[in-house]
Amino acid sequence: MLLLACVCLVLSACGSSKTVPQVSSSNPVDLAGSWEMDYGQSDNIQTKLDTLVRELRRDAERRARSSGSMNQAPGAGIVVGSSGANSGASIIGLAQMSELITRSPLLRIKQDEERISVKREETFALSCEFHSGEFHTVETPFGTETCGWNAHQLVFRILLPEGLSIQHVMTLGPEGERLNIATTVVSDQVSYPFTLNRVYNRFVPGSSGFRCTQTLTRGRVCTTETAD
Amino acid sequence: MALVSLALGVPAIAVAENSLPQSVGTVRLQQDTSAAEIEMLDIGLAIFDAGIPADKSTHSKLGIFPEIRKSEAQFMAVILRQTLIDSAAWGVVRVLPQADSSAELLISGKIVHSDGLSLVLQISARDATGRQWLDRRYSDETWESDYPVAPGADPFIDLYRQVANDLLAFRRQLSAAELRQVRQVAELRYAGSLSPEAFGGYLQRSEEGRYSVLRLPAQGDPMMQRVTTIRNQEFLFIDTVDEQYASLYEQMSPTYNLWRQYGREQAIYRKEYQQRVANRDSRGRKGSFVAMQQTYDAYKWSKIHEQDLDELALGFNNEVTPTTLEVSGKVFRLNGTLDTQYSEWRTILRQIFTLETGLPPQ
Repeated sequence: MLLLACVCLVLSACGSSKTVPQVSSSNPVDLAGSWEMDYGQSDNIQTKLDTLVRELRRDAERRARSSGSMNQAPGAGIVVGSSGANSGASIIGLAQMSELITRSPLLRIKQDEERISVKREETFALSCEFHSGEFHTVETPFGTETCGWNAHQLVFRILLPEGLSIQHVMTLGPEGERLNIATTVVSDQVSYPFTLNRVYNRFVPGSSGFRCTQTLTRGRVCTTETAD
Repeated sequence: MALVSLALGVPAIAVAENSLPQSVGTVRLQQDTSAAEIEMLDIGLAIFDAGIPADKSTHSKLGIFPEIRKSEAQFMAVILRQTLIDSAAWGVVRVLPQADSSAELLISGKIVHSDGLSLVLQISARDATGRQWLDRRYSDETWESDYPVAPGADPFIDLYRQVANDLLAFRRQLSAAELRQVRQVAELRYAGSLSPEAFGGYLQRSEEGRYSVLRLPAQGDPMMQRVTTIRNQEFLFIDTVDEQYASLYEQMSPTYNLWRQYGREQAIYRKEYQQRVANRDSRGRKGSFVAMQQTYDAYKWSKIHEQDLDELALGFNNEVTPTTLEVSGKVFRLNGTLDTQYSEWRTILRQIFTLETGLPPQ
């Protein structure tokens, strides 16, 4: 329970929202539509990783100074390949996880008054039911998912076993044509969270010439589309 | 279970296994091909209570897909009906859209849990006199060999057989006189539901809710003959509805059986995952990419599996077809759910009875 509280505290302090998400009764933003990733506008993972490493080094140096070990080499707190908290392997692992979680190039969002479903290519959909404006929590043996509106932002928090947690904060741009998803990954083995912003542009899907549906008895079935 | 919860940092699965009754195991259906006419009571089998909590926010946590549950409530009643017919121990077995307290023997059921791995049903049975035959929670588990389900088979058939056997065992304890009284009370309760004024005095109801016959109508009573006619019309409707239920069962079986097979696989996967976590079977050091990916993938696949099931649930449209029936030279077309149609039909029959007899309506 203490661990969960700590993770929530860390999550709420990062991402695109600096405030602790509160229940909002305002009308939710309409995110429905098809979205494709704008790689040029999205965060560069190497740059973000470099920033995180610099911050951790500064932290390590501050700690070293305060403990009187002034002669310790800069960055000595991080040794790639070592084990334990803030090790190089843990930091790089966290960045790799962020990249893995946010790599979906296409999103298809369906939304009505009761629920939203964010279908992400190559992975599971993020879905949320809106119950009286309250944050909705689903618990399973695999993890706990909490979601809801925090003012104009849609927030998904996923708490996983082994000290891993993920937060997605979705924010629609002023013109409604751009969607930012700030994904923050937290590991209890790294003292800083890792946030990646992925920017998506709205697009109108053209006819691909075929349409696929998932069926139970025949798996994924695709049929050709005829021009109307 | 508590240890696993602590290790995961999340609550355990919603259905606590120790709350489930013991599985019925392998059950052989007992038949009674030599039952006397008086012993072969007619059975009314109400569509099961789907057991869907009103609080929608709990559905996903409990693994309940409401549309599938509603279909299951009909599907399972049809299987129990067929099992009771196969036992050759009963008269007509009808699946009813609503409970009918004037049925000679009324069976009600509620789905407590259903996921392809295990099925838990609360079954109760009460005869027309108000005597409780059964009020028990039944549980059955499937084996890997139960899937894929062969045509005409059901992975939980042992549960239904156990219910049928228990009912037969209870009936065998009753004397011919007691069974005869059940039939008389059933007829008079139905007559009383049509016209309490004309038939209210034939029965007595005790404080415990048990009915007994005070006196019987005369042989050839014309009013009772009208009651019988109306009741037969009601049975006609139910028999038509039963055809729709049987048709639904036929249509639904192949897809539903696959759905149950997937549901079983998911339930087992969850159990094994809990076990793996409890045993700390991790491929990589904590905090490494390999370890985090393992944790994330377990969640990802559970979500993908759950969402596949969700999509399948959307296909379970419980469509109802209008029912057309003829009575007294008039054709009636009934629309809406079968439950609504049944209520509508009963109202029509009561109006006809009132018109024919000149008695005040109920």
